[in-house]
Amino acid sequence: MNYLAELYHSLVTRSRRRLVLIAALLLLAIVGIEYVYTRYILDKQLERLAENEITFKAVLIKSMLNSHEKTVHDYEWDVLRNLHNPDSVGNTAYWMVKNHPYLVGGGMCFKPNFYPSKGRLFEPYAEKDDDEVEVHQIAGEHHDYTTKDFYRRVIESDQPYWSDPYIDSIGDRSLICTYMIPLHQNGQVIGTFGLDVSMDWLSDTLNARHMYPSSFALLLTEGGKLIVDPADDHPKYHDVQQVVKLINDSTVCRDSSRTNRTVVMKFDSEHDGEKGYIFYANMRGQPHWQMVVVCYDKEAFGPLNLMTLISLFLLLGIMVALGFIMRHFMRNARRLHDASLEQERLGSELRVASGIQQSMLPQDLDIINKRGDLDVCGMLQPAREVGGDLYEFFVRDEKLFFCIGDVSGKGVPASLVMAVTQALFRAVAAHTSLPANIMRTINQTGCRNNDRSMFVTLFVGVLDLPTGRLRYCNAGHDAPVMIVDGKPQLLEVRSNLLLGIINDFDFEAQECQLPPGSTLLLYTDGVTEAMDANHLQYGRGRLLNTLENVGQMTATQLLQHVAQSVSDFVDGAEQSDDLTMVAVHYTPRQALATLEDSITLLNDVHQTPQLNAFVDQVAGQLQLDTSVLRQIKLAVEEAVVNAMQYAYPTGVTGEIQVTALADAESLRFVIADQGKAFDPTEALRADTTLSVEERPIGGLGILLVRELMDSINYERVGGKNVLTLKKLLTHKS
Amino acid sequence: MIQTEIQEIDGKLFATLEGELDTAAALEAEKTLEPLFHAEGRDVVIECEKLEYIASSGLRILLSILKAAKASGSQVTLRNMNDDIKSVFTMTGLINLFHVE
Repeated sequence: MNYLAELYHSLVTRSRRRLVLIAALLLLAIVGIEYVYTRYILDKQLERLAENEITFKAVLIKSMLNSHEKTVHDYEWDVLRNLHNPDSVGNTAYWMVKNHPYLVGGGMCFKPNFYPSKGRLFEPYAEKDDDEVEVHQIAGEHHDYTTKDFYRRVIESDQPYWSDPYIDSIGDRSLICTYMIPLHQNGQVIGTFGLDVSMDWLSDTLNARHMYPSSFALLLTEGGKLIVDPADDHPKYHDVQQVVKLINDSTVCRDSSRTNRTVVMKFDSEHDGEKGYIFYANMRGQPHWQMVVVCYDKEAFGPLNLMTLISLFLLLGIMVALGFIMRHFMRNARRLHDASLEQERLGSELRVASGIQQSMLPQDLDIINKRGDLDVCGMLQPAREVGGDLYEFFVRDEKLFFCIGDVSGKGVPASLVMAVTQALFRAVAAHTSLPANIMRTINQTGCRNNDRSMFVTLFVGVLDLPTGRLRYCNAGHDAPVMIVDGKPQLLEVRSNLLLGIINDFDFEAQECQLPPGSTLLLYTDGVTEAMDANHLQYGRGRLLNTLENVGQMTATQLLQHVAQSVSDFVDGAEQSDDLTMVAVHYTPRQALATLEDSITLLNDVHQTPQLNAFVDQVAGQLQLDTSVLRQIKLAVEEAVVNAMQYAYPTGVTGEIQVTALADAESLRFVIADQGKAFDPTEALRADTTLSVEERPIGGLGILLVRELMDSINYERVGGKNVLTLKKLLTHKS
Repeated sequence: MIQTEIQEIDGKLFATLEGELDTAAALEAEKTLEPLFHAEGRDVVIECEKLEYIASSGLRILLSILKAAKASGSQVTLRNMNDDIKSVFTMTGLINLFHVE
């Protein structure tokens, strides 16, 4: 049992652990999948965001640059129109610079010796200084534009050209760019015309509206030189050089200038080890600048990581909680399991107890009913498994001892008291034939230790079978019904007192004659107080009515008849109390006497030979065999000697009358004296198993009488002790 | 009526019971069997072949003899009891106390 419990426990624990583990793995998988998928989406999102930023800013820059290109083209015709006047070019440049706020300068570089009058190099240039525009011819030995990149590139390629931004060496050292277009006259390139534009807006444009606070954007020249970088107070300023180097080293970036695709690179900051992403793309068309957007993992995926971390903590919490809940649940389940086991155990114990209680009821019904002069039946229907009602009957020494009782309360406590009371009745009645004595002894035993105040109503009856004399004693029980000549009537009973209240209460016995053919019905209040659905009681009147015209029913039929009547009355209402009944049908048979003889002796043992001669003579008439004769002779001698010795006080002469009565079935010796009341049937049976030393000398007489005869019966009638010894003549000894 | 006879042979007491040992006879037998109450270590053998009847008073005498003999360390033997007598001894359990031959 212990082993099973352990196994059960370990199984529960193991399955609980497994369950929690499976749940944990499932949730972990969910968190994992969610993380990976979200990360994937965020990756795409980030790329798109970066691409958007790059595109947006590139478009902004391009549109600014386009407007400058348009400015140059707007003034191109004016230059060409006035080529005949060398100084008019300066004038045109003047207005161009004057009219456009971002321009810091503008002018024309003529091919060497275009105007012989102006020398080899001629560059009229309008320069803005605090909104004041002045025009100078700035070419000379210190400024040979033909050696400059912007001039040569335009002349050689015959294409417009944007210079990389550079720091103005002349003005206020701001960042500027130069845009130049070739000018033609008669299909011949005659020089370049263009402007210098301030690129201060470029930094503002580039550094405006980043994806994340730590993100930054860079603009690189086609050659990979940094044009615009974040302000040097930007938190990630230290990563700028690393990013520029990475891009310049990357073949992918170089190749992307052809494919125009955004390149994504990962990097770890050399400064603080932070993980970052570089998004890189070429600006399309002139100028071939490269745009870079940098952002950091912490910002792009920080929320996701935080969320995942929180999820994991939640998961851990859920697991712990689940574990606790499971433990609680399992413990409850186990408790429930244990409780149901306990209930089952109690149930089965109750069933066993019920069986024991039923088996305590009289089982020797057949032996009694085979006698011929009795038809007895008992019935006990407990309201629960075990009840507090009891009944008992048995025949001893030609007397029917019977009782019926009801213990206060119900269930197990009542059943225990019931068992004790019933056992007491059997034990006491084995040695006492007087109902009052039986009642007193049971009461005294019951009063002892009656701390729980369990009271018992009990009716005890002793029916002398040869005479039909009924002695009875009541302890608070309902009066039985006596049916004489088909007429039911309540037996006249004194209530006395319930058992278990007053230790030395003097119970008073009563006596009546039970006519042959009459019936006694004993019952408990389970019958009279049986209630129907309207709480109406069955009642004594209904019981008496039911017992009218019961005709020649046997005891069993009578009980079934009453039980059916009660059952019909309650009509399915729940049985609230034990239903108990006993029926005693008294049917003595008067056999025809074949012999009657008697002898009167004195209380002197020396007269035993006369007695023996009388018995010999009777036996002779009946032609009994020697062995049976010897048995009867011994029994009668013992009984008579007993009366001789004890009936009368020493020295007082008294008579003892012995009558032999025989019928077809039996031979009876009735021994009567007028001495003091003495019931030899109450004597304790001598213990025949004792050793020589322990063995008392006397006490054998009554033992022999019981052993040798088929029955003995004692009655105190009219101041006489009447002891009847019976030997069945059909009986083979 | 009961007839009794007691002899001592080879240090043993031999008693013979003959007839019916009823209550009246027992009063007499108690006197005639007096020597058996004083076996003083000698074994007692009681011949019952002709004993036809025994009442409880007779049993009491035999039991008293047995108690006395046991106290002095001697044995009491009952010989040749008829079936009716034997059944009386059986009913009373005395058969287990005596040595029965």
